[in-house]
Amino acid sequence: MKRKAAAGMAAVMALSACLAAGCGGEKQNGTEAPQQQGQQGQQSQTGGSGVFNGELEHDVVIQVLENDTAIEQKYFDELIRAFNEAYRDYGITAVDANMDQYLDLANDGPYGFGPDVLYQANDVIMKYVEGKHVYPIPVEQLECYDKIPEAAWKAYETEVDGEVYTCGVPVNIQAGMLYYRKDLLPENWETEWDDDGNGVPDMVESWNELYEFSMERHAEDPSKYGYMKSLNDMYFSSGFLFSYGGYIFGDNNTNPEDIGLAAGEAEKGAWVLEQLASAMNEECIDDTITTNVYSKMADGSYFATMTTPDVYTLFLDELKRAYVAEEGLSEEDAMAKAEENLVMTELPKLPESGDLTEINPSLIDTKAMGGVNGYAISAYTKAPNACLAFVDFATSYEMMLKRNELLGIAPAREDAAAETGGISEILYNNLEAGNVVLMPSITEVGQIWTPGQTFFTDLAMDVFRPENEKKYPDLEALHQGLEDVSQEIHDAIFTLQ
Amino acid sequence: MKEKWKRFTDAVRQSSWRVRLSAVVMGSGQFLYKRYGKGLIYFLSEIAVIAYFIIRGGSDLAGFFTLGTVKGDAWLGTEGDNSVIMMLMGIFAWIVLAVFLLLYVSNLKDAWMSQKLDEAGREQPKFRRELAQLLDRKFYVTVLALPVLGVCIFNILPIVFMILIAFTNYGGAIVPPELVDWIGFSNFTKLVTLSQFAPTFFKILGWNLIWAAASTALNYFAGLGLALLLNKDCVKGKAIWRAFPILAYAIPGFITLVAFKFMFSYGGPINQLIVDAGGTAVGFLGLDAKWTARLIGLLVNCWISVPSIMLLATGHLSNRDMSLYEAAKIDGATPFQQFRKLTLPFMLFATTPVLLGQFIGNFNNFGIFYFLRGGLYVDGYFLASDTDLLINWLYNLSIDNNYYCIGAAISLVIFLITSMLSLIVYVKSPSYREEDTFQ
Repeated sequence: MKRKAAAGMAAVMALSACLAAGCGGEKQNGTEAPQQQGQQGQQSQTGGSGVFNGELEHDVVIQVLENDTAIEQKYFDELIRAFNEAYRDYGITAVDANMDQYLDLANDGPYGFGPDVLYQANDVIMKYVEGKHVYPIPVEQLECYDKIPEAAWKAYETEVDGEVYTCGVPVNIQAGMLYYRKDLLPENWETEWDDDGNGVPDMVESWNELYEFSMERHAEDPSKYGYMKSLNDMYFSSGFLFSYGGYIFGDNNTNPEDIGLAAGEAEKGAWVLEQLASAMNEECIDDTITTNVYSKMADGSYFATMTTPDVYTLFLDELKRAYVAEEGLSEEDAMAKAEENLVMTELPKLPESGDLTEINPSLIDTKAMGGVNGYAISAYTKAPNACLAFVDFATSYEMMLKRNELLGIAPAREDAAAETGGISEILYNNLEAGNVVLMPSITEVGQIWTPGQTFFTDLAMDVFRPENEKKYPDLEALHQGLEDVSQEIHDAIFTLQ
Repeated sequence: MKEKWKRFTDAVRQSSWRVRLSAVVMGSGQFLYKRYGKGLIYFLSEIAVIAYFIIRGGSDLAGFFTLGTVKGDAWLGTEGDNSVIMMLMGIFAWIVLAVFLLLYVSNLKDAWMSQKLDEAGREQPKFRRELAQLLDRKFYVTVLALPVLGVCIFNILPIVFMILIAFTNYGGAIVPPELVDWIGFSNFTKLVTLSQFAPTFFKILGWNLIWAAASTALNYFAGLGLALLLNKDCVKGKAIWRAFPILAYAIPGFITLVAFKFMFSYGGPINQLIVDAGGTAVGFLGLDAKWTARLIGLLVNCWISVPSIMLLATGHLSNRDMSLYEAAKIDGATPFQQFRKLTLPFMLFATTPVLLGQFIGNFNNFGIFYFLRGGLYVDGYFLASDTDLLINWLYNLSIDNNYYCIGAAISLVIFLITSMLSLIVYVKSPSYREEDTFQ
């Protein structure tokens, strides 16, 4: 044990000495002037790991793991072609790592099998930080540094011996959005469902109105529903708890000892979910709605749902097909009509009381769990500086716009989000306002999903249980249920530690 | 045992200096008795093993005990020790050591045999003839050498590795580059004493035993019944009827399971029929559906497994001695009596090993409830649901929650249970006790 402690101390001292060289070298534009990076690197040490000395490795091949959609939609081809062209003089070539997205860098990296640069969600990247499988990056040197909101950078921050390091570079933001069909609004919505006269239907601005509209729509035609969503999905359902003060881990999602799903008045969020379930049917208990929502939105059975922006094209294609089949429109006309009628917008506001039947409630913002996808650099790469140059290039303004154009993602860069407008800007603003709660970036996050899914399944099921068998008849029972699931997660994490 | 020991001590006392030299330098005895070829092989083997232990075997053996002393740090470029690899290489070193000891003993026996031949004035065996024997009298050695080596590396090593993991703290936060430590029987103690673990363990174990017995019996009798039915002369178009179960068998199991999950889901066709008929959707596999889900699991498993049993039974049934049935009919035996007294004993005799295989397969049937009802933890169970089998719980613990060491401990328990039950049932079965009856 003493030897281990001594080795640990030595490692800490060596790390401190290595990093004491400091960070904050002069910013540079890696996209446009790769030569400058090479020259500057010789003059200054960088933040993050000491391996980033700015001296670009020559004649190296860097393996990049991108996500499957970026590869399928040919964005990745464009990215590496442009990068390879820019860095041809250095002999640096970026190639597709051609590995599974769900690789295990911790096990593969040490034996030379992992990629050099990887694109993953923040929780995936940060689980590699504990074992130091990805390098801390001198982010201040990157051109995108001051264009990305602090909240997004925080998703990649870690603290080692009192020092804060950033281990990833944010590329895009994901969070739940409300999807609805404009052509399914009642004809008189402008007079009956727009009390504030702002030209936006009330039912997409407030959960109370959406609940009322859902009940009315189902009452008129039992085969039709308003808002529909599988409630067992913790990623989407937990936002309702966050809106009333709940959280996953304490200390900004960094302390697994403190599990706060029952914190604040989180039970009100659970109550909101129960009320929403009562406006749906039993299909909200399992994955049925998640599976059929595309076709059911297209055939008009469902009016609205909540999901992430990256599936927008799936809804659009399904709706286009429905217009072609039902109305005999041409492909182009059907697509134009689908684009006109399918609306993706921010989530409606919640009643402060949690009561969806309250008239003229005091409203609060709805928070949603979100994630930040980004690039990280493997600690097992032989060419860290070339990898850094790649990350700098891939997060440039031009590449972010291209990524948005081909993949429809919401860029993490402020300037790119402003340029692309629409949903990117909304997500960006929500992130800045704290309404997008980023997935925790600690390894223990892997142990929240199944207990959470079980609780939300139970919650949705409770609505359909007979009165005398209900497990959550009031707020007190809901609070206890949330306490129990928090305890279960705590036990899962700490029982054997 | 006593006799063997006496023979050994006598040999030690009577052995010549040549044999004793072989105990220090392998092959030297053979060399001195002019068996140069074999002596050289023993000698080179010793050199190779000593070289291996000097180069890395020694440190691998030491690493097996320490499981590493320097923690790796990729940020600093400190390579560090990988406890898991050290354990694997340590096991490999033990295997090499064991093989070396076998060689060493064989070397001494061989030298002793040479001394005996020399004392008797007989000719020493020629190396070429000994080699030729490897293709003749000792052909089994030639044939088995490679497979045994393969079994050692690809079979014994991983099994021993898995067993040893159960005695470490590997898992949770202790994964490389963190250093793993030996912790003795702590994992087994936790399994039966920790308030979170013990009740879940025993509840799942109980259900697992019921499941294995029930599903094996159900599959067996359903398959046998189907085979008997399709064996009847009155059944027309047997080939077509037999083809249907084969179709179910041909579809990959997990696809069948996902299809059944959809069929029984809230939005699935079964609930659609119920709702269309004016009823309310039923959570067949839902959170509250303990016994419904268990029953569905049994039936779905039956759907998947019956075709193979039916095929097996069809083959065996064609070997029956039909004159026994004729005699039974003349004696007035009913069809059920014929089944109980003739068909069943015959089938049990022929298929007990298969039944045991089915039992173990069902005991460790991971897919059924993983695909039908995965992703739920039920009240009263620690990281498990009320349909999970031990193998599913093992998965939840080791894969979803990184408790590899506890997972390994559970696998060891599963191994002990299944091997003991299999052994007892097999030894008690007619297949073993009356082995010669049908030969």
